[in-house]
Amino acid sequence: MSGPVSISHPDDELSLVDLLDRLLAGGVVLTGEVTISLAEVDLVHVSLRALISSVSTLQQGDREDATDA
Amino acid sequence: MPELPARVDAQPDTVARDLGRLVLTIVELLRQLMERQALRRVDAGDLPEEKIEALGVGLMRLEEAMVDLREHFGLEPGDLNIDLGPLGNLLGPEAGQR
Amino acid sequence: MSLVWVYAVQEAGAGEAPDMSGVDGERPRVVGTEELAAVVGTVADDGFDEAGLAAAMEDLGRIEMLVRAHHGVVAATAQDRTVAPVRLATVFRDDDAVTAMLRQRHDDIRAALDRVRGRREWGVKVYVDGTAAPPPAPDAGAASTGDRPGTAYLLRRRADRDRGAEAREDARAVAERVAGTAAACAVDVRRFAPQDARLSGRTQEMVLNATFLVDREREDEFRDTVSRSGDGAVVEVTGPWPPFSFAAAEES
Repeated sequence: MSGPVSISHPDDELSLVDLLDRLLAGGVVLTGEVTISLAEVDLVHVSLRALISSVSTLQQGDREDATDA
Repeated sequence: MPELPARVDAQPDTVARDLGRLVLTIVELLRQLMERQALRRVDAGDLPEEKIEALGVGLMRLEEAMVDLREHFGLEPGDLNIDLGPLGNLLGPEAGQR
Repeated sequence: MSLVWVYAVQEAGAGEAPDMSGVDGERPRVVGTEELAAVVGTVADDGFDEAGLAAAMEDLGRIEMLVRAHHGVVAATAQDRTVAPVRLATVFRDDDAVTAMLRQRHDDIRAALDRVRGRREWGVKVYVDGTAAPPPAPDAGAASTGDRPGTAYLLRRRADRDRGAEAREDARAVAERVAGTAAACAVDVRRFAPQDARLSGRTQEMVLNATFLVDREREDEFRDTVSRSGDGAVVEVTGPWPPFSFAAAEES
C-alpha cells in the first residue's frame, strides 16, 4: 500500500528549494568569452547558507500563500 | 508578507558564540568518534569488565561536560552541526536529536 | 551600459523568444548563427556585473527573483521546442560575444540538445518517518543503575546505535527501490542531496532527492509506477521541468 502522492504542475507555486537544486547546479556552463560566471562553488555555498539561515521566514510565506490559494 | 533579510552579516556580538560553536562542534565530533570506537571495542569483547566500566564512566562524564559547555554558550544540540553543503552535515543527519 | 544574460540555447529557427519579462524586467530575444541560437536578455550592467551578481547571491530575495525569472523564461521557451537550459547567471559582454560562443561551443551545445530532445525532467522525492534512533525503553537492561553506571551507559549507547543503523538501512532500501523503479522508465538520472527538513518544511526525513530524464512517451508510465513504489513511504513526483540537470555533459 503506497503512501499519499502529490504531483505538482509547473505553473503552480514552485518550491524554491526544488528550483535551486536544478538552477544552481544544472544548465550548460558557457565559459571562455563569458564576462561573469557563477559556477564557482564558493558563491553557490554562500547562497545556500543565506537560504538556510532564512528558511523559517520563507516557510511562513509559503504556508500563508498556500492556505490562501 | 514576511520580511526577508537583506544580507547575511556576522554581527560582532555573536563572534564569541560562533567561535564557541565551532570549537564545540569539533569537540563533539571527537566525542562521538571516541564513543563509536569504544563500542567497537566492547563488541569485539577484548576488554576486561573494569576497563569497560572505566571507559563508560569517562565517556559519560565527557557527555555531561559537553552538555554544560553547550548550555554555557546558549547552544542547542542542533547548533553543533556545521553545514558542509554538498557533503551534508558534519555530524550527520541525526545529530542534534539527543 | 548593458550586458547580455543567457537563458537557453536552441536550434536556429526553432522559434521566437517568449513574450514575458526576464531577470531584469526585460523582454527576452533570440540571437543566433546559421545553426544555433540563444534566448537572451539585455540587462543593466549595474546589478549584473561580477560585483552585482556576487551581492545578489547573498540576498535571499534577489536569489529567488533571479531563479524564478530565469526558470520562467526557460520553461516558456521549452514548451514548443528542444532547448538546453543555460546555467544561472551566465552573462556576456554583448550579442557578438554570445554568437562567438555559439560557434566555439557548437559541438557541446549540439550534444546537449540531442541529449534532451523529446524528453523532460521529473523530480522524485521520498520521505519516511524519522530515522533518528527512537528514545530507549525506560528500563534498558539489568545494569541500568547502581554499581556499573559506566557499563550501563555504554550498553545504552550501543542500543541507540543499533536502532539507528537499522532505521537508516530501512530508509536506504526504500529510497533505492523507488529510485530503481524510476530509473527503469527513464533515460538518465541525477541525484541531489536530500533537502534538510528545515528547507522542505516537512517533519519527515527525505531519503531520496533525485531527478530523471524521461521520454515523453513514457511519462505516464513513469508517474504511475513511481507513485506506487513507495510501499508506505511518501513519494512526491514533480514536473515536468526543463532539462536543467541533464543539459551539461556529465563530469567523468
